[in-house]
Amino acid sequence: MRAAAQRAITAWSWISSLLLVGAVAAVIGFLLVKSLPALNPRLIFGSTPVLEALLLRAPVLDGLWPAMAGTCFLVVTAVGLALPLGIGAGIYVAEYSRGRLKQGLTLLFDLLAGIPSIVVGLFGFSLTVFLHHHLSPRIYPSLLVSALALAFLVLPYLIRGTQAALENLPARIRVIAPALGATKMQNIFRVLVPQALDGILSGVILAIGRCAEDTAVIMLTGAVASAGLPKSLLGSFEALPFYIYYISSQYMNPKELRQGYGAALILLIVCAALFAVSLLLKNLLAQRLRVR
Amino acid sequence: MKMKWTCIGAMALWLVGGAAMALAGDLDPFKGEAGAVKISGGTAHIPVMKAAADAVMRANPKIQISIAGGGSGVGIKQVGEGLVDIGNSGRKPTDEEVQKYGLVLHQWAIDGVAVVVHPQNPVKALTSAQLKEIYAGRLSHWKALGGPDKAINIYTRDEASGTREVFWEKALAKGEIGTKALFAASNGAMKTAVAQDPYAIGYVSVGHIDAGVAPVALDGVAPTLETVKAGTYKVSRGLYSSTKGAPQGLTRKFIDFIFSAQGREMIVQQGFIPVQ
Amino acid sequence: MPSERWMHGALAAAAFLSATAAVTIFIIMAALGWPILRDGHLLQVLTGPWLPLRHQYGIGAMILGTLWVAGLALGLAVPISLGCAAFIQTTGPRGLGGLLKHLVQLMTGIPTVVYGFVGIFLLVPLVRDVFGRGSGLSILAAGVMLGLLIAPTLILFFVEGLAAVPRAHRLAVSALGGTPVQQLVYVLLPQAWRAILAGLVLGFGRAVGDTMIALMIAGNSVAPPASILDPARTLTAHIALIVAADFDSPEFRTLFVCGLTLYALTSLGVVAMRRLATKHLEAP
Repeated sequence: MRAAAQRAITAWSWISSLLLVGAVAAVIGFLLVKSLPALNPRLIFGSTPVLEALLLRAPVLDGLWPAMAGTCFLVVTAVGLALPLGIGAGIYVAEYSRGRLKQGLTLLFDLLAGIPSIVVGLFGFSLTVFLHHHLSPRIYPSLLVSALALAFLVLPYLIRGTQAALENLPARIRVIAPALGATKMQNIFRVLVPQALDGILSGVILAIGRCAEDTAVIMLTGAVASAGLPKSLLGSFEALPFYIYYISSQYMNPKELRQGYGAALILLIVCAALFAVSLLLKNLLAQRLRVR
Repeated sequence: MKMKWTCIGAMALWLVGGAAMALAGDLDPFKGEAGAVKISGGTAHIPVMKAAADAVMRANPKIQISIAGGGSGVGIKQVGEGLVDIGNSGRKPTDEEVQKYGLVLHQWAIDGVAVVVHPQNPVKALTSAQLKEIYAGRLSHWKALGGPDKAINIYTRDEASGTREVFWEKALAKGEIGTKALFAASNGAMKTAVAQDPYAIGYVSVGHIDAGVAPVALDGVAPTLETVKAGTYKVSRGLYSSTKGAPQGLTRKFIDFIFSAQGREMIVQQGFIPVQ
Repeated sequence: MPSERWMHGALAAAAFLSATAAVTIFIIMAALGWPILRDGHLLQVLTGPWLPLRHQYGIGAMILGTLWVAGLALGLAVPISLGCAAFIQTTGPRGLGGLLKHLVQLMTGIPTVVYGFVGIFLLVPLVRDVFGRGSGLSILAAGVMLGLLIAPTLILFFVEGLAAVPRAHRLAVSALGGTPVQQLVYVLLPQAWRAILAGLVLGFGRAVGDTMIALMIAGNSVAPPASILDPARTLTAHIALIVAADFDSPEFRTLFVCGLTLYALTSLGVVAMRRLATKHLEAP
């Protein structure tokens, strides 16, 4: 291969790396610069004193607090709903299924993972309206509906995380307990799952991050621009990513726009941190298994 | 020096306003109440709704008022289907809709729909005929109107928008809106879009106009509160809040609040003309 | 042991319940969109124009919009991702390569709404000023941001594919006097082409499925686009816009056709990926 072609390829790899790093730096840098003026407690609590807001004595009407609380509740509910199903399914696929059954199950899980989030949102919304007409007028887009729809969305993350973590356990760990007389179930729950916990946790945290950042699903199923702190599962709620979307096109004054930047920065930090922790856990698991 | 007096003046106004609000007593009916009110629909109404909701929630933290947008069509549908308690619309619900859903209408303001452009755009007056040509896509350059040598970027709203309906009927005389038009999802979004694009033309509720966009005089009449009130600016509409049947409980109190003295103040502050 | 059987049953139930999720979504969408499918208007809906005032609810322009935006995003992201993957695996000095990999891993956590937000205020005015025409809300702006969104996933995928090639093969090239670039071109790429293709398909799936970037910066006009400086509306943005504006009307029913189209596109991608990727590679 000619030296010039080699140099071109090397040059291209350097250029593309620089382009990528430059683009990300531009995005994050722009965000930092624009949100810096807004980074103070007023961003979150508005004109309400911090203590009053935290003690729920006074509502926060022009800060991010309701949106952050809404996102928190949403994430906890959604992951809570998906967790037992996801981990259970992951264990089943990794330990009990094989051959065509396994192929069929993983195909269905992959299909679920591929569904665009807006389609999941559309599904959630239409189902809710349908049930509202035909089942009970109390059913309408709300925190619970959003959480259920998000649970659909992140189920594959949990399943895959669990499955991958279990399947990557080396054979030598798998045979110890049965050799000592343990049943399959005992082996799974007392040996394998604890060993794979880092990987499973990694999947859970990934799911949490995905729930926190999603906008398309919640904007169709219950997130609104202004609702205060979430009061019940059957009520509307605010959420950070929806706030960012809403402010981006409908800010009324420069102050609101700065709040939008601040919100974007907060969301960015939260999600990047969650993903980083998720990766760390995965690497921790891999390391532990290698070292032994 | 000037700054200092501006600050003192602002603070004084704020204190007086606050005192006035406390003395007003319009918020008394909400004492001791708890519950939720769901509002959705017209986006022009949102600033007033939000101001009113803020006042109520501050006076009584146990009340939760959630406000969503979506446009007039959505507001009417959702209140009719029982998904929300109050449905806002920037156009009068049709007789069909009123009958189908059993709506009770409350009109609390008059508003206009103004054509707006970027403040740096020298073109500040248009005739109806020109407007029709622009939106149909036939008149496509600012140069033909004495503006910069750039293509006109037209912005419009979606089908559920009452603002769009009124604009289409009264300003465009039901003319066509070209398919290349860019979409804004609400009055606020339209205002933001036009404020950010020097070659844009769009339409917003008169109450939404601020320093970020420049109103365009249509057939010689500038869109201001006075001309809308006097009727000389023809592109006007009422702001309605509809309920399914007669409003009750917290919903009724909220609607009464909008019609109260404090409510009227908020309506005026946001740039609309209050109506009894 | 009875508790064993019970647990086994519970796990199986979890698996099968989760498995039905994908099917349920498909069935409900098909059922709700049935009136359109039944009346035989499907072809019209898929290719016609979107003119609600004339009762025409065709999503043809939206399908084109999706293809243009996703196509541009892939066209930008794939070469750059390949270059970055090459840097991380071979051509970059070890420390820098590792650093880039960690940066890319962190990048996967950046939410799309943040890209959209920055896109509106940084990229759109830039496009408008650089090209002098249009409003900046365009396929170009959306494609660039979308490319940035999918690049980290692609890079990590390519890196794994390249790393999966046995070391012995690379050492063989070295022993014969080959440079790292020659290793890359003659050994790694040919062996990893399946993984690379799989990454392409994965990127396509993600690009087609994203909503916020296209919704916020592609302009959402209903005319079929004719150049990358034109605004466009993608299937995903269309769903978001219409749901916010209506429900229970002929317009709304066409949304299910939109949804099914998207489902079909991404599912094709999934099936293609399963054929190509020999090992079940995880994708964030």
